[in-house]
Amino acid sequence: MSRFRPDLSDEPAVRLDGVSLTYERTGEVLSEIDLILRQGSFTFLTGPSGAGKSSLLKLMYLAHAPSRGVIRLFGQQTHDLKRKQLAALRRRIGVVFQEFRLLNHLTAAENVALPLRIEGRKPDSYRAEVADLLRWVGLGERIDAPTPSLSGGEQQRVAIARALINKPDLLIADEPTGNVDPKMGRKILRLFSELNKRVGTTILIATHDLELIREFDAPVLRLSNGMLVRDVEYGRTS
Amino acid sequence: MSKETPLLPISDAREAALFFVVGALCFLAALAALTTRGTYKAAEAWGAQIEGEITVVMRGTDRRTAETVAADVEKLATVFEAELLSRDEIEDLLKPSLGPGGIPDGLPLPLLMSVQADMAVGDPTEGIEAVLDKAGVDGDVAGNAGYADNVRGGLSVLRMVALSVVALLSATAIAVIAFATHAALLARRDIVDVLHLSGAEDRYIARLFERRFWVLALQAGLGGAVAALMVTALIVFSGGSAQGVEAQLLPRLSLDFWDVVIILITPVMAGLAARLAARMTVMNSLKETL
Repeated sequence: MSRFRPDLSDEPAVRLDGVSLTYERTGEVLSEIDLILRQGSFTFLTGPSGAGKSSLLKLMYLAHAPSRGVIRLFGQQTHDLKRKQLAALRRRIGVVFQEFRLLNHLTAAENVALPLRIEGRKPDSYRAEVADLLRWVGLGERIDAPTPSLSGGEQQRVAIARALINKPDLLIADEPTGNVDPKMGRKILRLFSELNKRVGTTILIATHDLELIREFDAPVLRLSNGMLVRDVEYGRTS
Repeated sequence: MSKETPLLPISDAREAALFFVVGALCFLAALAALTTRGTYKAAEAWGAQIEGEITVVMRGTDRRTAETVAADVEKLATVFEAELLSRDEIEDLLKPSLGPGGIPDGLPLPLLMSVQADMAVGDPTEGIEAVLDKAGVDGDVAGNAGYADNVRGGLSVLRMVALSVVALLSATAIAVIAFATHAALLARRDIVDVLHLSGAEDRYIARLFERRFWVLALQAGLGGAVAALMVTALIVFSGGSAQGVEAQLLPRLSLDFWDVVIILITPVMAGLAARLAARMTVMNSLKETL
């Protein structure tokens, strides 16, 4: 965990200015969002189901473009970037998807190694790294297990390991504790917190588990009907 | 993890169907290409033969003089063979016009000489006329140039049709592969999305599909081409017994160096077409995403 490349400029990791998102079928799901996530911050995003949490995260991990407004990641306005630059930016972001999105024909280790494979690294160069990370998330005995044979909780931890393997500058997790028991949920969040403190990774976690949020001293963004009701900067609420 | 599992899962039923379709198209394309080449060869040979056939009609002379004329004509540089036709051969030629009753005994028949010449070297008409003049024989030299032109015209149409069939089959193969790539892309959208969101560049994703369809088309194409080779071999070794005019009209199938080249090129072309179609389809599809 020593590859963190802090952006020495004062640019936030994420900055959204007047961002709205409208889907053709469902209409506007996010409205005029202004948001700043400082580099090295640890933030929760919460809100009721359908509030737009996943949509907001999709904008941040560059799955969608906003209908209006400007998104800046690490100081780069995403709208201006070429496809190659967008791909490079995505490689700085680790994502834990709500539905895991693991590739079923690969083993647990192969799924975790996916970002490294995309970077062009050879299996020999990352085998130990992947095994260490899987042990870290408690799957040391399941390294070569086929993905379909893993339980929901195990799959979630594989997805978390995949999001962390290339030491991202920004980690976005959509309900990362949704499929694990409370004990494992706490363990996962402690892993994230440790990562944030030791490596300085900017972390944004979407969850509706308020009990879990209360255990961590971190700012909370709350979405309601597509609007950010608490516009929070790192360390303070406005 | 010593050997990397392919990021695109190994084939499913759809790919088996595509394998069959590409194989069948390559079989037809290879067969059409071999037939086209055979048609070219047959057309060349037949055209040269027709053009090189000259008939000389000799009147008011005896057979001995005519035989002397034939011997002198055969000495001309561009002539392969000059042969005086027998009465029976002339009767055979006239039978379609005079019916099965044959030629009445009293009917005077001209003496006919069949000359085989190499028109590529030169037209022997003037030389034959000089030999006739020198021997004091009244005669006409009838070439087939006009007829050969008509035949050549017909054959060039045939060639164009054969080439069009090859082009059409190739285009069909490309279109089928493009559709299949698109279908595979839709079927594997989950994988494409994960790769895309993990920071894979468009080219990286396209290469996965390119590689998959290159190998598939190469294998299917090879199968189809080998099947075409076997069918051709079957025709060459067992079906090449047609004789006479009908045999001349058939494409001249053979198994020489260029036929082997066609067999080898077919799968490579199919593979390249598949690769290109896959690349274009994936790149265009990814452009719709952020």
